[in-house]
Amino acid sequence: MPVYSRAQAQQRADEIRAFQRELAALERERVLVLTAEQRRALAEHHGSVLAEYARSFDIDRDIHAKQLSLGMRIASLLGALALGASLFFLFFQFWGRFSTAGQVVILISVALGSFVGTMWSQRRDASGYFTKLAAMIAFVCFVLNVSMLGQIFDITPSDKAFLAWAALAFLLAYSCDLRLMLAAGILCLIAFISARTGTIGGMYWLHFGERPENFFPAAIVLFAIAQLTGHERFAGFAAIYRVFALITVFLPMLVLANWGQTSYLDIDPVIIKRAYQVLGFVASAAVIWLGVRCGWNHVVNTGIVFFLVFLYTKFFDWWWDLMPKYVFFMVLGLTAVLFLVVLRRLRSVLPAGSAA
Amino acid sequence: MIRNWSARHTLAAGAMLILAVNAVALVGVAYNRSGEPESRLVMTEREAHPPQRWGFEAENSGMALFLEWRLPDRGAPAWLDQTKLGELGFDVSRRADDEAGHRHYEKLHSRDVLLVLEFAGPAYDAALERARRYAAERAEAAASNPGKQEFKRSADAAREQLAREQAIASRLFVVDAGLNHAKLRQRYPDRSRYAIVGGRVRPTLYGERGREKVGGHIEALDASTVNVPLELRPFFEGADSRYEVAVAFGKRLEPWLVGAVSVPASATARKAAAAPYPAAETRARARRPARGS
Repeated sequence: MPVYSRAQAQQRADEIRAFQRELAALERERVLVLTAEQRRALAEHHGSVLAEYARSFDIDRDIHAKQLSLGMRIASLLGALALGASLFFLFFQFWGRFSTAGQVVILISVALGSFVGTMWSQRRDASGYFTKLAAMIAFVCFVLNVSMLGQIFDITPSDKAFLAWAALAFLLAYSCDLRLMLAAGILCLIAFISARTGTIGGMYWLHFGERPENFFPAAIVLFAIAQLTGHERFAGFAAIYRVFALITVFLPMLVLANWGQTSYLDIDPVIIKRAYQVLGFVASAAVIWLGVRCGWNHVVNTGIVFFLVFLYTKFFDWWWDLMPKYVFFMVLGLTAVLFLVVLRRLRSVLPAGSAA
Repeated sequence: MIRNWSARHTLAAGAMLILAVNAVALVGVAYNRSGEPESRLVMTEREAHPPQRWGFEAENSGMALFLEWRLPDRGAPAWLDQTKLGELGFDVSRRADDEAGHRHYEKLHSRDVLLVLEFAGPAYDAALERARRYAAERAEAAASNPGKQEFKRSADAAREQLAREQAIASRLFVVDAGLNHAKLRQRYPDRSRYAIVGGRVRPTLYGERGREKVGGHIEALDASTVNVPLELRPFFEGADSRYEVAVAFGKRLEPWLVGAVSVPASATARKAAAAPYPAAETRARARRPARGS
């Protein structure tokens, strides 16, 4: 089976080690005993596969390496965010001392240079941690490039900047297999589509957040991308698209379920609130059902989270003022226990090895 | 995904994206500044000044001038009435004094429109005349009520207000709005006094509950700040710097600084700031001070 990314290689390596542990247990219990020839061939095959993965993808060889990797991932993420912020403030502090031509040259050079640097890093860094840092810096440099050009020349702000940023983020995400960049690209895409939806209704693009319904088309687009484009070579990408799609639907619904006056609909806000509350419950239940049916754990979990959020906000509306607080929290706790029972049932229904 | 996509393709695509985006932005700037400016206003520190820096902004080494614009009236401008809002594309046909009307007008969001900026024109003259008349009224009231502190304080405040209007307050007013640039320019042909810029307008309700009226509110101007290039910064540094600055507006109605010149703080400006209030018997002989500092 071909392996295209570090995540896939790591998963295969984990499966090999699990297989080796299970084989040892079976041999101890005399359920399955391999001949010396079979044992030698198996060890040789697994050894060469793991060595190849270690050389090409810098995978974790054992549980200790895995624990360290988690720490490296966190450090890489925090480092990426901190370096990005540092770059932004660095430019902010010194840009005024350059001539206009100098500012433009610096902005374009830094954006180009950091992008080239990311590509160079990717060729040499099998682990991906340093590439993630470099990609984040390249993205921040490009955001800085576009926004500072706007400031220098007093260009009227436009939502098209989000499209440009999303394009670079997606390019970095897919070429370097970086989920952080994918998330950044998705956020920019959500902003662009929501702003465009707002302008279709005659609204100024920057005010798209005033009408939560502006986010629904973006959610549809994200879900469609996850469904219609193949992501077999990119572990976790389809799941990220789906989770962001669900958040982009449910968060605005939650806002509308509490503040009906923010809707586009010109009817009584109380009716709008109640309608979105019902819709929130129905939609989250439907999402849970869809996740179970398709074997998408991440969809099930997201649906459950929002179902609970809608439920708890309703409980708050009904009982916070009426009940003593200890009774209120006991009701919340008992509801969570009920959910555990339901989820245990669901777990037995879920197919094994659910799809990403 | 595209087959045979390699690192070389990624490098080329990324570089082209970065260069293309910058090219589009710079070509747009060149187009905006090409040919004769759409308008050109020569203002002073009263209308264009660096904003106060605090917190995060204090670390910003860049400098921009903030365009201080005003409305002719307090509250909703009289010219931005229901008829004008209708011309700007808002549905203002509904009644404003019932629940359904409140909901309708609350839901109306702001729209992109063209706004007309007037510099040192009739709107400023009217504001100055209002301040002068008010100062005279307060002075007369103080004179008629000698020894009463509240009348004296009111007269002092009115006098200070007049001095501010004469020497410090901005002379840049938003006086009209529309959707058609050519028609607005036809109505305001003087490009050295009137600039047409983009902005946002939103309907608003005002008045007592049950008797609300529909008016308009100017949310923002697109050209609210103008970047200061390095070579022009010395004119604007220093808390008491006095200057004249030429701001041009281009084909895309985006502004840029054309030039600046230092102006010594005028005796007229200092006198006006400290002038005693016009006595009741001399108010008829008060003359309008010269425009500018």
